[in-house]
Amino acid sequence: MSTVVFDSAALPELQQQKIQRPWRRKPAKLGWSIAIASIVPLVIVSAMFWSTNIPGAVLMTVVYLPLQLVASGVAAWATKGTRGILDSVIIVNAIGATLFAMMVLVSVLGSLFVRGWAALSAHFIYQNNVYISPSTPLDYGGIGHAILGTFLIVFIASLIAVPIGIATAIYITEVRGRAVPYVRFFVQAMSGVPSVVAGLFILTIVVATDAFSQSALAGGLAYAILMLPTVARTAEEVLKLVPEDLRTGALALGSTRSRTVLRVVIPAAKTGIVTAVILGIARVIGETAPLLLAAGNSDQTVLNPVGGPIAAIPTYIFNNVALPYPDAVARAWGSALVLIILVAVLFTLARIFGRGRIGK
Amino acid sequence: MSQPDVEERRDLKAAATSHRGDRIFNGIVIAAAFTALVVLAGIAIFLGVQTIPAFQSQGLSFLTTTAWDINTDPPTAGIWGMLYGSVLLAVIGLVIAVPVSILLSIFMVFLAPKKLATALTNVIDLMAAIPSVILGLWAFYILNPTAEEWQQLLNQYLGWIPIFENASGNYLGTPFIAGFVLAIMMIPIVTSVTREVLARTPPELINAAESLGCSMWTMLRFVALPYGRGGIVGGVMLGLGRALGETIAVFFVLKIVFDTNWYHIIESGGGSVATLIVSRFGEVSGEFELSLLLAAGFFLFVMTLVVNVIANLIVARTGRIKS
Repeated sequence: MSTVVFDSAALPELQQQKIQRPWRRKPAKLGWSIAIASIVPLVIVSAMFWSTNIPGAVLMTVVYLPLQLVASGVAAWATKGTRGILDSVIIVNAIGATLFAMMVLVSVLGSLFVRGWAALSAHFIYQNNVYISPSTPLDYGGIGHAILGTFLIVFIASLIAVPIGIATAIYITEVRGRAVPYVRFFVQAMSGVPSVVAGLFILTIVVATDAFSQSALAGGLAYAILMLPTVARTAEEVLKLVPEDLRTGALALGSTRSRTVLRVVIPAAKTGIVTAVILGIARVIGETAPLLLAAGNSDQTVLNPVGGPIAAIPTYIFNNVALPYPDAVARAWGSALVLIILVAVLFTLARIFGRGRIGK
Repeated sequence: MSQPDVEERRDLKAAATSHRGDRIFNGIVIAAAFTALVVLAGIAIFLGVQTIPAFQSQGLSFLTTTAWDINTDPPTAGIWGMLYGSVLLAVIGLVIAVPVSILLSIFMVFLAPKKLATALTNVIDLMAAIPSVILGLWAFYILNPTAEEWQQLLNQYLGWIPIFENASGNYLGTPFIAGFVLAIMMIPIVTSVTREVLARTPPELINAAESLGCSMWTMLRFVALPYGRGGIVGGVMLGLGRALGETIAVFFVLKIVFDTNWYHIIESGGGSVATLIVSRFGEVSGEFELSLLLAAGFFLFVMTLVVNVIANLIVARTGRIKS
């Protein structure tokens, strides 16, 4: 019996080999024509911009875009023939769309850093707003109360949403009951609940029961509604990656179902579950509408979960954006910068934990 | 003594569990799994109940008219303009976001070098993570002056088209600006779904098309885009669901008026259910107005739920075909 022996030593060499695609060979003139086609329209439009007083936006849409399309069409025709013309249209538009998206992002982040930086200082991070009015200069006061409020509300939301979310994922991947398709359907439907509706729902409970008013607890409950689907879906993805051998191995050794899940599957997916929690927190930390309705606002540092209205960073920004005082607006930009830094830190953490290999 | 029948394969997972710990564990997990259903039902019931006072005082005109005079006797309230406004804003957002997202995904999948494509994927994820209140802040101070200029130019050169009419000369708080902000929120959602389905186009199909002499345009037109069509539509619907429920970013750039703005997209004033709720909540006059807002929230919930369910069904169906 002859067997084909796979020579693993030759594998790197095989992978190194470049796949030949003769039909993809680039014409020699391509580089030059791309260069000419990109520079000529730019030169013409900048010349028009400096010599006439037509607004820049009009020049871009009415002159530059058609000119660029024509120029790249001609370049494509010169190198690839008529077939190349539509290709060049696609390529120019795709690059244009990418530049547009990048421009928006750079504008948002750039303005955040430029304008937010002015408000940042040590006391901006730890002081609260008790003696601060919108016109108080930036030398006093800060968002310490809002940062603590956000942490408290997110902590309460995590206490509720994380266990339920992970248990939902366990039901889908480990218990595998008959209702799995329905549970997944409901979790997906829940992920589409608008944040303002989550806030309204908690508000109706507050109004209906009179048990607790606007508070960190109410805000945390509203956040938990938004957080649960993210945690459940990410945890499901992660638990699916745990090798089936681990489960059957544990069951074969005589372990019960619950022990298999708690002692084998969950520890194997530990880093992934941390990622799920972080992504859940990142999903909610900037949500404003639920807190406006369920948590209210305060100028003081509130640490009691049921101690009445509480401030948080998003609601603090919301309340300061449109005030007619430059210092209040500067505070809004400053707290927006703090918020985006928090979000960025959470996403970086999720990346780091997400890189951890499952099953190790 | 009979030997166990080894031929028959026993299904370990289906074996009934008798262990007490297991039964408790199963009970807890099943209870948790149905939390999503309980919450959805809770929202539907608690907010649904609030539509009763609204319909009792306003009848069906609560849904078909546009008015908000709570302190008159009798009070009049109707949210048609708000419901319609939400849809109008979302459509404006889609008109901007869908071409940009598809072209962006084509760039990432078929044109960009691998490293640039990975970097762009991360950048798009970052864009999705920007909280809406920050986008609202940016739109209020940075986008507003620029967009004002764009709209003046649109009106100046294309004012003969009815949708670009502007009688008031006020170009702030228009549906166009709000729709533009929504487009920025939709682009990352639509792009991430579209990029994924385009990247899953089987390479054999692409190579076959290329070896048959297809240009890039014909390959996209006849292979990649038809293959990913279902996924793209699903992604667009997901973006639509997000746009309908968006509250805060719209709050800062749209002037809420209780007068249906049918199609004058660069005329100041428009409507949005979600924003109506937040903007009225701050100065709510009493129990009755609160219940009207809750009723509005109920219809917002129903609208987004329907859109999301359809979106997820489309995405799930195309996923199944592919796998």
